[in-house]
Amino acid sequence: MAASAQQPLDLILARNLMSVLETPSFLVDNDGQMVFFNEAAGDMLGKRFEEIGRLSREEWNAIGPVDAEGEPVSNDKMPLAVALRDGKPAHGRFHICTDQDKIVEVETSAVPLVSGGDFHGAMVVFWPVAS
Amino acid sequence: MKVRFWGVRGSVPVADAGSLRYGGNTSCVSVALADGGHLVFDAGTGIRSLGATIPPTSGPIHILLTHLHLDHISGLLFFAPLFDPKADITIWGPPGPGDLRSRLARYLSSPLSPVEIRELPAKVTFRECAPEGWQVGGARITATQVIHRGPTLGYRIEEDGAALAYIPDHEPGLGQDLENDPSEWISGHALAHKASLLIHDGQYTEAEYAMTVGWGHSRIADALSFARRTEAERVALFHHDPGHDDAALDALAEEARSVWRGDGELSMACEGATVEL
Repeated sequence: MAASAQQPLDLILARNLMSVLETPSFLVDNDGQMVFFNEAAGDMLGKRFEEIGRLSREEWNAIGPVDAEGEPVSNDKMPLAVALRDGKPAHGRFHICTDQDKIVEVETSAVPLVSGGDFHGAMVVFWPVAS
Repeated sequence: MKVRFWGVRGSVPVADAGSLRYGGNTSCVSVALADGGHLVFDAGTGIRSLGATIPPTSGPIHILLTHLHLDHISGLLFFAPLFDPKADITIWGPPGPGDLRSRLARYLSSPLSPVEIRELPAKVTFRECAPEGWQVGGARITATQVIHRGPTLGYRIEEDGAALAYIPDHEPGLGQDLENDPSEWISGHALAHKASLLIHDGQYTEAEYAMTVGWGHSRIADALSFARRTEAERVALFHHDPGHDDAALDALAEEARSVWRGDGELSMACEGATVEL
């Protein structure tokens, strides 16, 4: 087939769901590439998905996790890392850096996407911790 | 390949006098391959008539189920080759919880059926479709999960440069901008891309769809957008709503043609029609 291969159905459905959610959320494929983030996430990050497209693991590592001073921290135990590595849902709190260089503390929940016995990625919702 | 429609109706068969022209049987489409092989898409009530035309010794029969909703399997029990010990039948279906045979046995068993699945006289093999595709004779078959309720496949068959895409139960417009989103994010797009013939769900009118969003079927406008994006050469709208009689389908066909912006030939699938690809 000449057309691009279809994304796994669970990723398509997750993206469709996120696109109507007002909760900031993003989608990562099984290579760790951020393949979509919604408008609410874009508002928080100061970027629109339609403008910048998908982000590699290195590119979105620049957003977070960081500490309160904006210094990178290990993401081994972060929710997304747990979801991608262990295939388990996970929840946690850390900081991210927006493109206005603002440091924002967020809570995050990550859910692995597994269907037909295959791991396809993870969906992540996050929201700012009320100050 | 030669394609024939044996059942084009969705949801439930109809036997009304006003539905005789398009036909009242539920989903079943056959494909005769160049090497004489038989592919059968879905086993709705249309498969009963098809079964009467296949000689018992005509070679392996492959039944490819998109999913296990009743309107796609209710004809199995009336498919004559299943009751012929000389017949060699492979039933393909979507992966899901439990093996395919066990899932089908929920219908082909008491109290819903007088015959148990283990009692079928034919040599029957049950296979779950592999995502990497497979070969039947000279035909290459690809199956991909598509948006519908429950595990559901769409199929693409390629033989001698022709391609058939069969996606009878499909709601690609659910939460999707079919006109503008990248094709890789449109359910079923790769299956249907530049198909010689796309057979696609077009069950609902705008008004009906307003009441049925999320049920897994397309309004005609979305089916047309999907077809245009896939650049299919011919499009047959399929899975007609049981509430749409011949007059209603004629009117919907006229309306669809008036707004169709694709290059391909557009038609409403009709029971008994054949298409050579």
